[in-house]
Amino acid sequence: MRKLVLGLVLAAGALTLWGCTTVSDAPTGAYQVGTAYQVTLGREWADVSRIMLDRSKSVHVLSIDGPLLNRLYLSEGIASGDSMVTSHVKEKPTPTYKADFSAQETVEFVADSVSALDYDKVETSNLRPAKFGGIDAVRFDLAAKTKDGLDISGSAITAQRQGQLFVILYLAPTEHYYGDGLPEVEAIMSSASFRGA
Amino acid sequence: MRPFRKLAAAAIGLALLPTSVSALGGQARPPHLRPPDPGSDEGGLWDASDKAEQKARASGDLDADPVLNAYVKSVECKVASEYCEDVRLYVMDRPFFNAETAPNGYIEVWTGTLLRARNEAELAFVLGHETTHFALNHSIQAERDLKNRANGAMAIGLILSAGAMVGGAYAGMSASQISSMDADLVNISYLGAVAGFFHFSREQEMEADRGGFDRLTAAGYDPAAAADVWRRLIDEQAHSDFEKVRRTPARAGIFDDHPLEGERLATLSELAKGKGPGDLGRERYRAAIRPHLAALLRDDLRRRDYGETLFTIDRLLADGDDAGVLNYFRGECFRLRRGDGDAALALAAYEAAATAADAPVETWEQLGALYQQQHQAAKARAAYQTYLDRAPNAQDRWLIDGALKKLAQSEGT
Repeated sequence: MRKLVLGLVLAAGALTLWGCTTVSDAPTGAYQVGTAYQVTLGREWADVSRIMLDRSKSVHVLSIDGPLLNRLYLSEGIASGDSMVTSHVKEKPTPTYKADFSAQETVEFVADSVSALDYDKVETSNLRPAKFGGIDAVRFDLAAKTKDGLDISGSAITAQRQGQLFVILYLAPTEHYYGDGLPEVEAIMSSASFRGA
Repeated sequence: MRPFRKLAAAAIGLALLPTSVSALGGQARPPHLRPPDPGSDEGGLWDASDKAEQKARASGDLDADPVLNAYVKSVECKVASEYCEDVRLYVMDRPFFNAETAPNGYIEVWTGTLLRARNEAELAFVLGHETTHFALNHSIQAERDLKNRANGAMAIGLILSAGAMVGGAYAGMSASQISSMDADLVNISYLGAVAGFFHFSREQEMEADRGGFDRLTAAGYDPAAAADVWRRLIDEQAHSDFEKVRRTPARAGIFDDHPLEGERLATLSELAKGKGPGDLGRERYRAAIRPHLAALLRDDLRRRDYGETLFTIDRLLADGDDAGVLNYFRGECFRLRRGDGDAALALAAYEAAATAADAPVETWEQLGALYQQQHQAAKARAAYQTYLDRAPNAQDRWLIDGALKKLAQSEGT
């Protein structure tokens, strides 16, 4: 397992070097997610959105140690018919959000989107009520595996507002990285505030 | 096993080998044979296959269920008893019809194959086809042909050879196409790499069909199962939601450049003529797959080709088993597709599921939601209540409680 994590660290480093011109800082403090809401970062993150080719344009991706070791997806409002993950081939559609989704279906949508990223055996658990910027939301946990068999843990929150879906999703290797970043992520989720709300 | 017993087993195995001499001139490999020279081209292939096998063992796709793996292995040993000790089988959680064999005797069977096979005989044909590629050293033949064509310029660089059969949504596509489409569903970058090196010839594929058929019948299975496997592939593809998939001729393998044309189907059908019906092993097969059926169907839905999934479900429903699970997932196809009229179709499917003893508990959750959408409050309440009664610890219980409260309020106003 240590070898695997070391490999991931090296790969993350290589990815970081490769993307040095496209990765930007996301400094401590307010981070604007599109025009709808902002969150507060308790530490400096890297905005790796531009090197995450599978995300749709309305999804921001932040990371601390590189996207293989921790990644935080923050969606701007996903409109009905839009996705978190892009599809490059018509015959391979990615999950799309529909405005009439139930709360459970938003959880299913996120889990399917994680599957459509690069993960196997995606499971959700521990659904619980929460608030996202003051509105009713669903919190839940995820478990998955990478294609190489590494255990991944995740935590997410979804909320629907004015026909759009808002998602914050955190994914990291179960060993060390997930637990290490979770308190910061919890604080970020709690800090979400809608503009004008 | 002691050496002399191994030798005896090998001799018996050879005597029983249905396709001991290749129509293409190759001799079936003796059981327990390893390449004598690790530096030879076959030794190189074997070594690369060993590495690929190690990777498969660590893969996130590996299905570690020992009972399921043992069952699939038992079918392999029925159709290829002489290679039973040589072959290592791995069930991989990948929702496509596919099986593939490495030259070192490592075989992957993808769960899409297990979902689509209706009976043990169909699985036996697939395994028999794969084992024939292994037995007749098709990989090394193909490698040598390739090297000859390239005047020896191309080094042995492949990871995994394959007698691969892929169908479902991808029956008509090459490995590189699948690779670009489904990196999220299957870690098949290696398939893309290998596709550049290995293409079995049409003759080798037909030989594997013939070998698979011989093994199928020698093991006492129904001869018609062989043609049924290919016929289903072609039919399923015709039901795809995607025009491009429907338009593309079905192919039996991702390394196979040759469309699964009528000739192969006709050959297998012709071979079956005049032979008495054999064992389908349907009940044994359904019993082995039943514990996994819901997971296999949920995985298949991730392909989002609802036409193909519905085809598969309807084909299985025709046999009359597992009506609760199959109708529930029929309903899931319509719920997820969300086309015109799909809500009514979903409702009918969930209602059909609810009459069967094996209906998943989520059936009543979906019924509740659909009745609620249709303002049938009493029915919605009853369905939700059934869901909670059957799943008192449901993780979304608080959401259902909320829905019930809302229904009560709406009835009170």
